[in-house]
Amino acid sequence: MNSTPPVLGVPVKPEAPRGFTWKKKRNMFMFVFTVPTLLFFCLFMIYPIFHGLYFSFTDWSGGSETKNFIGFDNYKEMLNDPIIGTAIVNDYFLVFWKVIGIVGLGVLFAVVLTRFRLRGTVFFRSVFFIPNILSVVVIGVLWNYIYNPSIGFLNSFLSLFTSENVQTPWLGDTKLAIWMLLPPSIWAGIGFVMILVIAAILNIPKDLYEAASIDGAQEWQQFCRITMPLAWEQIKVSILWVVMTTLNGSFVIVWMMTEGGPDNSTQVMGSYLYQMGFRQYHFGYASAIGVLILILSLITTLALQRLMRRDVVELA
Amino acid sequence: MLPQGHSLWKFSRYVTAFLTYALFVVPLFSLALLLIWRGVIDMNAKRPTWGNSLRLLIICVLVVMMAAGCNSGSKTNETASSNGSGTETMQKEESKQENTDQGNDEVSGDFEIQYFVGGYGDQGWKMILAEFQKKYPNVKIKESAGSKINDQMKPRWIQGNPPDFVYIDGAGSNATQMVLDDQLMDLTDYYKDAKNADDNIIKDELLLKPIEYDGKIYTLPFVFGSWGVFYDKKLFADNGWTEPKDFDSFLSESKKIKDSGKVNAPLIYTGKYPYYFHGGILDSAFVVNNNDDTSILLDMAALKEGIFKSDPVKKALAQMVQMRDAGIIDPASAPINHIDSQMLFLQHKNAFIPNGLWLENEMQKDVPQGFEFGFIPSITQPAGGKHIAIPFTATVGIAKKAKNPAAAKAFLEFLFTKQSAITWAEQTGALGNLKADLDNSNASALVKSAMKFYGSDNTIVAPYVQLNADVDKVKQDSTLALMTGSITPEEWMDRMEKAAAKVRK
Repeated sequence: MNSTPPVLGVPVKPEAPRGFTWKKKRNMFMFVFTVPTLLFFCLFMIYPIFHGLYFSFTDWSGGSETKNFIGFDNYKEMLNDPIIGTAIVNDYFLVFWKVIGIVGLGVLFAVVLTRFRLRGTVFFRSVFFIPNILSVVVIGVLWNYIYNPSIGFLNSFLSLFTSENVQTPWLGDTKLAIWMLLPPSIWAGIGFVMILVIAAILNIPKDLYEAASIDGAQEWQQFCRITMPLAWEQIKVSILWVVMTTLNGSFVIVWMMTEGGPDNSTQVMGSYLYQMGFRQYHFGYASAIGVLILILSLITTLALQRLMRRDVVELA
Repeated sequence: MLPQGHSLWKFSRYVTAFLTYALFVVPLFSLALLLIWRGVIDMNAKRPTWGNSLRLLIICVLVVMMAAGCNSGSKTNETASSNGSGTETMQKEESKQENTDQGNDEVSGDFEIQYFVGGYGDQGWKMILAEFQKKYPNVKIKESAGSKINDQMKPRWIQGNPPDFVYIDGAGSNATQMVLDDQLMDLTDYYKDAKNADDNIIKDELLLKPIEYDGKIYTLPFVFGSWGVFYDKKLFADNGWTEPKDFDSFLSESKKIKDSGKVNAPLIYTGKYPYYFHGGILDSAFVVNNNDDTSILLDMAALKEGIFKSDPVKKALAQMVQMRDAGIIDPASAPINHIDSQMLFLQHKNAFIPNGLWLENEMQKDVPQGFEFGFIPSITQPAGGKHIAIPFTATVGIAKKAKNPAAAKAFLEFLFTKQSAITWAEQTGALGNLKADLDNSNASALVKSAMKFYGSDNTIVAPYVQLNADVDKVKQDSTLALMTGSITPEEWMDRMEKAAAKVRK
């Protein structure tokens, strides 16, 4: 850059070191940190989404070189497919009970571990958190053994109290199986929520609790009036986290434990997608299910955010 | 947008991914690091900068880690496809060979074989390929093998750059689907009078005939075995139980076993994969109830209208219900996978298990001392009736777009010789699909005793068929539901007819 001599009387901006103005630096900074991320976001998120959308309008088997454009046929087919209905119901069943279970127990444990002066807090905290570092695959295998009708822990345990051996096939009963998926999923999720809420509670000034107890507030009242409102942000995040991971990720636990069976009674959208795409060679149809998952997760997340935003205004 | 599957598109995608990584992320990351290091970047001049820089650094590291993670994924693909194109370019030099006839000395050039490595291991293939190499020294063999090979090679099949020869077995492979996807060479005319390397007509040597798809042949069955019901001879001898010969003796024997209280229930199967139950028990029952006429299986595979509601099916399902209601079947079956069911069987928690001949090999490490496998091809036949053996196989085929079909055919002819069959049996403990004398080979005792069944006049070996994947899924779901008592045989038949009708459309 040519540096012209300063003209008298005109105020000169002090030149930035090494030839960069502040603005340029800022722009460069933004470029450096946004463009690669954006690029990868496009490459690994946006592009596959649109590609999947395109597949969902075709009859591609997943293995052939050719595919035909069939318009909305896959979507029409979905309307007539009773398993899709089962899968959606199961998905929201899991969402509902997992939110209740994980967030409920997570908050409970967090409160217990912070507000009640217990011994061994660190120990419990780690114990509850351990399932979180286990892979879901491991959890699935582990619980498969617990539920095993012949040699499983659950039946052996129950047999202690009955005269005859208990042989309930927990995961083999079309009505029971979906309920049986809840304990492992809840067990696996509590730790994260607990840690999150513990952090939130520890951030609440002690004075509030002190003042409350001087005024005669019981633990329960303190929980309702102080802990809940002030930890609500974290609880909200937890709920959203559970909902999103369930809608997108319940596939793993289902696939590890039942593969959607018996008789499709534990099929969720993710597992049905896999079944259709990779076991029954309807990749186009599977893509359509993928689009359905995307749409439903978006709607659910947005609706939830709306719902909970109002709450936060009321409470905080 | 270029059509997916267009090789240019695929290629450009990998290149883009790589270039992005090499040209953008690495330099930008180093630049950012440098700038942060020298304090040029003040994210927010009003505040102390160190905290921000640290945060940025972390974000940056995360971004790069993500990039690296994603990229390593696409990179493996890249090597796969570049391998492919490598073969392609080398192949062009040899293209003169492509159309030559399969005269022995003229077989040369690159020859790529894809084979799945699973329960049978890879020793059998390696030895057969080594012998093939000896015979045709000019052929340059490339093996694409492994336990995940079906998934790894999939992109190449989709791109139209397949290997020459494929052994279709294991997870992620399905011969029927490959035919539907138009990936395999039509072998109909070739098969009519193809001779193997020993100059025998292949057609006459095969135990199992190839599946016909609308009268055309695309695959040849290479492995031979059958489903059946297994028991422990020793356990039976110790308790004075006898091998059931027909359905009535199966029921009475099961009752005896149940009443003895020595097992949880007489029979266990894997409810997670009900096709074991189909192969071992149900499919043979269809044939039995069709007066030993195996054509019913072909009709089922052809999804003939009304076949799933026909009389033989009704009778067979009635037998299943009879078994269910007699309490023969362990309720533990429904949720467990094949390995768990086999473990229970080996632990004598159950007396019978429907399974395939590979069972002994698969459970090798867990078989208790003194355990002696017994095998019955079918259990539903009437007194004095013939046994029905439902076969299983794994097939081989030649890619429609094979670059060296001459070599592929030569290998096929080499594969279907007695010598290869014996090599295969010795290395894998399983049977090749060839009438070979196994007495001198070291195939397992179970396999040899099974072989006696197939050779006997008292056993009918059913043709090998493969049901449409959608119908088969419905069949498995329905059978499990039937055996756990949540649907009736009528519902089973309705479901199957509906599923078949949907596919026929």
